[in-house]
Amino acid sequence: MSAPPETQPKAESRPKTGCYVYGILPGDVELNAEIYGVGDPPGEIRLVRSGDLAALVSEVDLSGSLGSPEDLEAHQEILDTTVTGSPVLPLRFGAVLTDEDAVVEELLDPHHDEFVEALEQLDGRVEYLVKARYEERAIMEEILSEDSEAAQLRDQIRGADPDATRDLRIRLGELISNAVAAKREEDTRLLLSAMEDHCEVSFVREPTHELDAVHVAFLVDTDMADELERVVEHLGNRWEGLVELRVLGPMAPYDFVGTAQEPQD
Amino acid sequence: MTTAIQPGGSSSARPQPSGLADVIDTILNKGMVIDAYVRVSLVGIEVLTIDARVVIASVDTYLRFAEAVNRLDISQEKEGLPGLVGDMEEGGAKHKTKGMLEAAGEKLSEFVADSGQDRERQGARRSRRGED
Repeated sequence: MSAPPETQPKAESRPKTGCYVYGILPGDVELNAEIYGVGDPPGEIRLVRSGDLAALVSEVDLSGSLGSPEDLEAHQEILDTTVTGSPVLPLRFGAVLTDEDAVVEELLDPHHDEFVEALEQLDGRVEYLVKARYEERAIMEEILSEDSEAAQLRDQIRGADPDATRDLRIRLGELISNAVAAKREEDTRLLLSAMEDHCEVSFVREPTHELDAVHVAFLVDTDMADELERVVEHLGNRWEGLVELRVLGPMAPYDFVGTAQEPQD
Repeated sequence: MTTAIQPGGSSSARPQPSGLADVIDTILNKGMVIDAYVRVSLVGIEVLTIDARVVIASVDTYLRFAEAVNRLDISQEKEGLPGLVGDMEEGGAKHKTKGMLEAAGEKLSEFVADSGQDRERQGARRSRRGED
């Protein structure tokens, strides 16, 4: 159950607490409520400042583990709430440094100018995530009506012994899978072109479900949120009955903070 | 006014499972990776999480799709409706364009409800006093 920590603990006197880091903000922010973050019991959120930067942190007990639904939600809630009042560079879940001094000396100070510049670019902008999923029944009907080979295979497997028709089933499923992928590509293009004039930049996420229709993050000026709403509503009407459409946001700009630097295994 | 906001506290308004899936997709896969910036003071802590789903088409996927098509036929026969009409009606009834700002907005309102505070007072807020 309990795997060893990923990095080597120092042999002597391993500290009992660490400093969990949520995100990096401009130095002129203030906390005006007591907010609690990840961990059990949850640590109180603090600001660690240096130069023109501040980091949102909380103390975390290193003998426990992180990753409960409450932890995950706390991490995102804190960042998504923050972004409505200040630009923020959100960190991926699970970032823990030894203490607040390390946050200043190893995170904020050495990368000061880079972070300040990134925060300036993000000022006044928030992320919205547009997620849509095909209604299984509707999309299957549509594909069968468009693809005669699939329709024919459907007739062949109807009521037949599943084992005897396994190859036909695989072929049918493959046709449908390819058709869904093609529709996803087409609908993603449609969404991107509809949003072209309303967002700064977009990022197409990988599908997380076989029936995902679109999964795109947009970095949007806060005053353009209404435009985004209009575009999505328009698409929602167009896709009525075929697609279930959701918009998540405003969120911290998770998809727009240099994830390219992720180390590869 | 200071109010404690405890995400793990009252569970009167638990988010639906899809909400958590959305959270996982975002904060485990996205966001700045601290390892790219910090090495010496990085602390290993056990992180128990579900891996975000990755979609890879496989024979299993194909068989599942074929089964979905099969189910389609069965339910049509049961309903005794001319297929397409029945489907369209059901599809139409099931269709929801969920409200804008759904998940984060909902969470935010829970957050606000918990704290009894204005959303603008939550979290860190950029000070308006000095733009340098």
